[in-house]
Amino acid sequence: MRRLFPLLALVAVLACGSESAGGARGGTVIIGTPADADALLMPLVDGVQGRIVSELLFDRLADIGPSLNTVGDVDYQPRLAQRWTWSGDSLAIVFALHPEARWHDGRPVRAADVVLGFTVIRDSANGSPLNAATALIADVTAIDSLAVEMRFTRRAPEQFHAATQVVPLPAHLLGAIPSGGLRTSEAASAPVGSGRFKLVRWERGARLELAAVPDHYRGRPKLDRVLFSITPEIATGMARLKAGEIDVWDPLPPAEIADLVQQPTLRVFSSPSFDYSFLAFNARDPKVPTRPHPLFADRTLRRALTLAVDRGTLVKAIFDTLALPALGPMVRSQATADTTLRQIPFDRAAAAALLDSAGWVRGADGVRRKGGRRLAFTVNVPSTSRSRERAAVLIQEQLREVGVAMEIERMDFAVFLAAQTSSRFDAIVGGTRTTPSPGGLRGSWASAAIPGGGTQNAWHYESAAFDSAVAAGLGAMDPVESKAHLRRAYQTIIDDAPAIWLFELKNVSAVHARIVLPPWRPDAWWSTLGDWSIEPSKRLPRDATPATP
Amino acid sequence: MRRVLLARLGQGAIVIALVVTIGFVLIRLMPGDPFVAALDNEGVAPQLRDQLRAQYGFDRPLPEQFLRFIGQLLRGDLGWSFSRSQRVAAVLGDVLPATALLMGTALLLGGIGGVLVGAWQGWRGDTSGTRWVSRASLLLLSVPEFVLALLFVLGPALLLGWFPVAGMQSDFAGSGLAALRDLLHHLVLPAGTLALLIGAVVARHQRRAVLGVADAEFVRAARAKGVPESRVLFRHALRNALVPVFTLAGVVFPALVSGAVLVERVFAWPGMGRAIVEAVLRRDYPLVVGAVMVSSLFVVLGTMLADLAVAWADPRQRRA
Repeated sequence: MRRLFPLLALVAVLACGSESAGGARGGTVIIGTPADADALLMPLVDGVQGRIVSELLFDRLADIGPSLNTVGDVDYQPRLAQRWTWSGDSLAIVFALHPEARWHDGRPVRAADVVLGFTVIRDSANGSPLNAATALIADVTAIDSLAVEMRFTRRAPEQFHAATQVVPLPAHLLGAIPSGGLRTSEAASAPVGSGRFKLVRWERGARLELAAVPDHYRGRPKLDRVLFSITPEIATGMARLKAGEIDVWDPLPPAEIADLVQQPTLRVFSSPSFDYSFLAFNARDPKVPTRPHPLFADRTLRRALTLAVDRGTLVKAIFDTLALPALGPMVRSQATADTTLRQIPFDRAAAAALLDSAGWVRGADGVRRKGGRRLAFTVNVPSTSRSRERAAVLIQEQLREVGVAMEIERMDFAVFLAAQTSSRFDAIVGGTRTTPSPGGLRGSWASAAIPGGGTQNAWHYESAAFDSAVAAGLGAMDPVESKAHLRRAYQTIIDDAPAIWLFELKNVSAVHARIVLPPWRPDAWWSTLGDWSIEPSKRLPRDATPATP
Repeated sequence: MRRVLLARLGQGAIVIALVVTIGFVLIRLMPGDPFVAALDNEGVAPQLRDQLRAQYGFDRPLPEQFLRFIGQLLRGDLGWSFSRSQRVAAVLGDVLPATALLMGTALLLGGIGGVLVGAWQGWRGDTSGTRWVSRASLLLLSVPEFVLALLFVLGPALLLGWFPVAGMQSDFAGSGLAALRDLLHHLVLPAGTLALLIGAVVARHQRRAVLGVADAEFVRAARAKGVPESRVLFRHALRNALVPVFTLAGVVFPALVSGAVLVERVFAWPGMGRAIVEAVLRRDYPLVVGAVMVSSLFVVLGTMLADLAVAWADPRQRRA
């Protein structure tokens, strides 16, 4: 990791500055990816790869702007909707569709397509992961062929954000598919979209090719095509990147960065990510979930354990400069994040004193006891994450210093998630990929169920003060007021210490040096792919290969 | 002979049925389900997972799920792969040719190469050349498949640039002869990895078998009749010495299937081994069971072919 220091100076410079995109048309970008897309129709997509491809194939009504502000509509940019009008009571929006927008088969995009997009999400037989995100929408109706009205159940700051989750789908191709049949239909494997790239071929488990749509209403992409090349073994993926077989890998595994920075053909740079990790304590007994956890229902104990962990050193040891200590259940890229929140500091003496005062006395083996019970617990860690494993080992050592015995249980990822879902754990080193919207806060940490679904609060954190502050923050129409409520929510949860907030990752990506990049959007770098370009003088032979028929 | 073949077929069917049943039960007993990954997204409602489980019948008791599966199987339907968004039969149809090509090439090269090297070693006896070859084959036997595969990626592919690092075809391979040449170029390293491992095993057994017949009466008689040495080796000695090697092929086949899993992963070869690993990790129940069924079919057929080869080489077996 030490080697990273001088290298990351370069990394930081590249991350801060964004180049002006060149104007040359043509060329091919090959994106390396460890997994195939799970689905290509946006309402059916679960995984990241599926999301990337489907967002290139399909345009939304409007897309979030560079500020990543999801409150209101001021920072949204028109896409399939040329403009929109709010009703007087703010309970409806009328979207006027772009008259030039076409499906990849040449048919125009019409209001019926927006209605179908909403129907597919709402049809429970399709099992769409977007159902909860669109819970605010009551119905969608076509006014005429180019105008559609979306009505909402109530006013909310992220009403417009919810509206943009409804992606128009080609009614002339998908409208006749019976309920529940979309996932297994032929059309789902070869979707006809409305985005700047169209699907050329999908060789499952091997590659997926997209080509530029020449007469797109937003303009032809500068690249001729984009190819996703699937390489499940990361070591092989890195070898292909060095050999020039692939042009892009995101995110890079931390262990490979120092080596890849030395490659003259690659540009390696960092950007903020939306991932944060934490060690969560289960507040309820994993064996009898109706009972409080014998250790972690106690707020004082949780705070003492948090005091005992030196997160700064931990983050430095594992990531050097590639991560920051987490602030709470948020990332710094979110518009609502607050870096001035009062954190529980690392103070081993204070941790020991707090444990002493709570009656936990060191035994002969160095482990504290109270009423015959050892201060010992097990933490679950997914064996697929080396950084979480290393974090657990360092925490284990730091807790041992204050007389706490922590066992580490490494698990296969699916087993880890199954244990998490069923709350069968004392503690876990978990991770969350959040979004620009703070709405996920309710899903992961509030005791109340998220609208349209339940709660993923598997650690059973319950705080009326936190719940009400989150509800007020997410419900306030004024951004300043919203931020103030959310600040109160963040401070409450940090003080309650239902988890030790470990680290917030920086995303490190590698892109071939011949590619000219527009500004990198941290939550969705692929959203600007249509504006990537390659200067003719720097093109490789494959850049000139004609597209697959 | 026909009765033996029929009996083997019957045994094979029982083995496949047992393996599929065990696979069906084991994958469902493992924690997690095909929809558990949806939990990784804080915006997704956990109820969705329950809804999907119910929709695909994964919330039903295990015996009921098994009976449904048998019913589907009888209708020729292997189910829906959640990890690949395709029918399982279509997934297997995509990946089987890739695996068959890889394993067939490796078996052919490794088998023929191993037999020739082993025969040469056994026929030449204890010389410095044969001792070096023995050491090399021992070294190959002690190297795990994935280590050898990674060495090939680092050496001939990455450092020397002679071969592509991974994949079965270039992303823009073209068509016709160019595509075939490209495919063979991609095949060299993964098939070479497996062929070397098979060849090392076969060579060691072949050497011992040839040594065993080198002084046999029929070999001495052939020499006494003035038959040229190469003809003595290939027509008389080798044919008899092949029996244990063919028997070995039956044992090597299952190992080859499991070895291909790792090699396919390292070389991003879009075959069945990779599909099985990904299906198990993502708890894609229907694909796991379908792939296990086809793999066991492979192994059973491979073993039967080995038996037939033994019968061809040893007339006593045909009469048994």
